[in-house]
Amino acid sequence: MKNILSVLLLLIAAISSYQIQAAEEDKPFAEERIVLQISDPNPFKQTLVLNVANNLIKAYGQDKVDVEIVAFGPGLRLMFKENVNSGRIQGLTDSGVKFSACENTIKGMSKKLGHAPELNSNAVPVSAGVVRIIELQNQGFKLIKP
Amino acid sequence: MNYKNKLLMNAIGAALLSSASTVQAANWLMLQGTEAPGQSARAKVWGFIQAQYQHDNSDANAGGGYNPPKLIGPNLDDQSAFNVNRARIGVRGTGFPLDSKVNYFILAEFGNNGITYGDDGKHLTDASITLNHIPGARIRAGLFKTPGAEEGLQAIHVFDYINFTTVTNQLLLERFPNSTCDGASPSAGPCVQTTTDLNNAASPTPDADMNQFSRSVGAFRDVGIQVFDTFKAGTWENSYAIMYGNGNGLNYGDNDSNKDLYLYLSTENVFGGKGGRREGLKMFAWHQDGKRTNAVNRTQEQDRTRSGLGFKYLQRPFRASAEYMQGKGMIFQGQHRPQHLFNDLEAKGYYVEGGWYIPNTKWEIDLRYDSYTRDENFKQPPTSPATPSAPGDESTFDTTTVGAQYHFNKKTRMNVEYSMRDAKSDTTAIDNNVKGINDRFAIQVTHVF
Repeated sequence: MKNILSVLLLLIAAISSYQIQAAEEDKPFAEERIVLQISDPNPFKQTLVLNVANNLIKAYGQDKVDVEIVAFGPGLRLMFKENVNSGRIQGLTDSGVKFSACENTIKGMSKKLGHAPELNSNAVPVSAGVVRIIELQNQGFKLIKP
Repeated sequence: MNYKNKLLMNAIGAALLSSASTVQAANWLMLQGTEAPGQSARAKVWGFIQAQYQHDNSDANAGGGYNPPKLIGPNLDDQSAFNVNRARIGVRGTGFPLDSKVNYFILAEFGNNGITYGDDGKHLTDASITLNHIPGARIRAGLFKTPGAEEGLQAIHVFDYINFTTVTNQLLLERFPNSTCDGASPSAGPCVQTTTDLNNAASPTPDADMNQFSRSVGAFRDVGIQVFDTFKAGTWENSYAIMYGNGNGLNYGDNDSNKDLYLYLSTENVFGGKGGRREGLKMFAWHQDGKRTNAVNRTQEQDRTRSGLGFKYLQRPFRASAEYMQGKGMIFQGQHRPQHLFNDLEAKGYYVEGGWYIPNTKWEIDLRYDSYTRDENFKQPPTSPATPSAPGDESTFDTTTVGAQYHFNKKTRMNVEYSMRDAKSDTTAIDNNVKGINDRFAIQVTHVF
């Protein structure tokens, strides 16, 4: 039993190490890793979360900070293709900011709309937004909810 | 699939599914008729309040009477008044936020002005739905501002002056006369009541009571349907609008079978910013064409056309704009003479104005000159000078306005303005009344929420 437990712990440690390594590969010189949550229907929050990402890039420099914006719930509208902020999203993507879109929310919205919402090409679907945030926190990311 | 592959697949998918891109332009058509895609609220509550004081220095005529330009509206009783001239509250947004292709706009007026005068102090001014499904042809239906002159189409809470130019006030701000025909039995045929004189002679103050219209002014609005859109070409935005409406102002229904056609074109080189004070150089032209039924003789109909062109330039610290307008038919003859409104006369006018934002201060200085020629080239037949429905001969109104604005913050400002006015008419009786029109002082605080 102890052996099995030890193997499991080693496996978890190895996976975590791999994940951290993978994150570091994207931004090997990053000194800070930040995940920004957008789950609010308030339109001003969309602008705010993009402003925060932009300020982080400006403050630390593109290579010194790893920023990922995770959208779920009503906040997913930020990553709709038609969103008025699509130009800013492209600009932040060019600066290395990643955008993750919750698949659970996409499924829920698809039912209400009768079709899947068209997403911004820079948004990467993740199985669950909240799980993605936990994964990133496990990799050393700090969670900020503007 | 790793993150990069997912990103690539998503990008390819998005490219394959791409459709005509939408333009979120900051012009009046788009600002009032659309919402920011993917971002608008389900219901954004907003509005503004304007509180003002005006004092008119005009002189009475020889008989001690005053006519409307010498009195403070909308009541037109006296020469000085505090007033809450606008108090509007509204809601706008996307009722179903997941679908940005449909948005709405509703706004009500509770202030004391031409919209609400005689209407229990409240009136709906806007209630529209916009469908954004067809690229290049958005559809807006309901009650809303008609595409036209800049002074009327712009959001009034960012208007740089307190009072409209005379040409906008008289030529474009349509009045709808009271009708003693209301309630007349249709079985008797079209209502004809030529014996009732609703007009009013110049009266002494206080309680001159010169406003002989109890229906809402048109407020540059109509109920109808509009097709419009804006197209980007580099830094330029090109817009068009075609509207078809009742031609009955803020009245929800139509009072005849005639409809109005509104056409609008604009092109703007956008320098930067957003919203109602976006910087740019805009050039525009517009035309309106309709027909009106005589309020007291419903066997008579009259064409009403209006058209104009102009430009607006704004790049802080400077602002400049000018517009030329002309019209034929239903030329307004005064708030005290509703029965003179039904006519086939012509009028024209223009304004030139500019502003300077004093650097590193919250002050802005404004200067405007406007001129209006009413009943242009018209001379009354000598046989009918006393007919109640006969208008006056050509009259001219020239106004120079010096103003200042103090911006407390982005949502609150104070306007102060002093207007130097001069008017004259070829008709002796009218000239006797208008030659005493003198300067007017106005101060107003606007707060937007």
